[in-house]
Amino acid sequence: MILRLLSAALAAGFLAAIVATGLELALTSPLIVAAERYETPAPGQAAQALPQALPIVLAHAGHDHPTPEAAPEWQPAPGFQRMAFTGLATLVGGVGWALILGAVLLACGREPTLQTGVAFALAGFASVALAPALGLPPELPGQEAAPLLTRQVWWTMTAAATGMGLYLIAVRRSFIAILGGLVLIVAPHVVGAPPPPDATSAVPAALAAQFAARSLAIGAVFWTMIGLGLGWAWQAFAPARNRAHA
Amino acid sequence: MTTTTLAPVAVRSNERLMAAALAAFLGLGLVFMAGFSPAIALHNAAHDFRHAQNFPCH
Repeated sequence: MILRLLSAALAAGFLAAIVATGLELALTSPLIVAAERYETPAPGQAAQALPQALPIVLAHAGHDHPTPEAAPEWQPAPGFQRMAFTGLATLVGGVGWALILGAVLLACGREPTLQTGVAFALAGFASVALAPALGLPPELPGQEAAPLLTRQVWWTMTAAATGMGLYLIAVRRSFIAILGGLVLIVAPHVVGAPPPPDATSAVPAALAAQFAARSLAIGAVFWTMIGLGLGWAWQAFAPARNRAHA
Repeated sequence: MTTTTLAPVAVRSNERLMAAALAAFLGLGLVFMAGFSPAIALHNAAHDFRHAQNFPCH
């Protein structure tokens, strides 16, 4: 069963990553590159360094990461290499989410099928994309935001609480469980996400709004594909003995 | 796997939970690497993915 789960998750992550990478490269990456033009260089870095091909490190210098003055950190070259690494990261993330989705399905005693796969994947989308985005909308480089660690903590707590809440509501289904689930889902938003500092960003609002919408749309497709892929692959990788009975 | 046909439900559910635990552990590791790892090289490699999938980035 372990091998079947691992191979099904690999297949699902791969399928989802192919689709999501295509969407990212077509829809969000161009907006990210466009937004990087509005980023302010870190203090100490010459303004003429801007047009050079180091957009990502410049983006982070002066925020939460150490400034790359001593030794410039590696980053993918613009163009094909950067696109390839975006694809690779999407693959790693896709397989990771597929493994977690499979683990949750099995732990809940559900057989992964197309239906259960998609249903649980949509809960995953709600937990790790939609709910965190209510407090921390998808943002472009160059937009002002609270310190990274506080946002990561809030993001993680919100995703975990929403996932647990959905489990209590959809799987447990008793009155107390539903009540507790609702509290878990609402609580992170009552506490509130770490607020961004009171500073204006040079990134045009239209660009940011378009990015947020596209990001969530891609997330929905990504998760749907992970769910469909996992359900399909789990059935396809069934031992021959079981398939004969089905 | 020959045990599955004869095994009591407890054994199957034990195997199921083991598989789930291992997959969850691996999955969380991969997601952390792609979405959260503070290592700058990993961050730069996954930069556009993190933004597109709404992981807190910078």
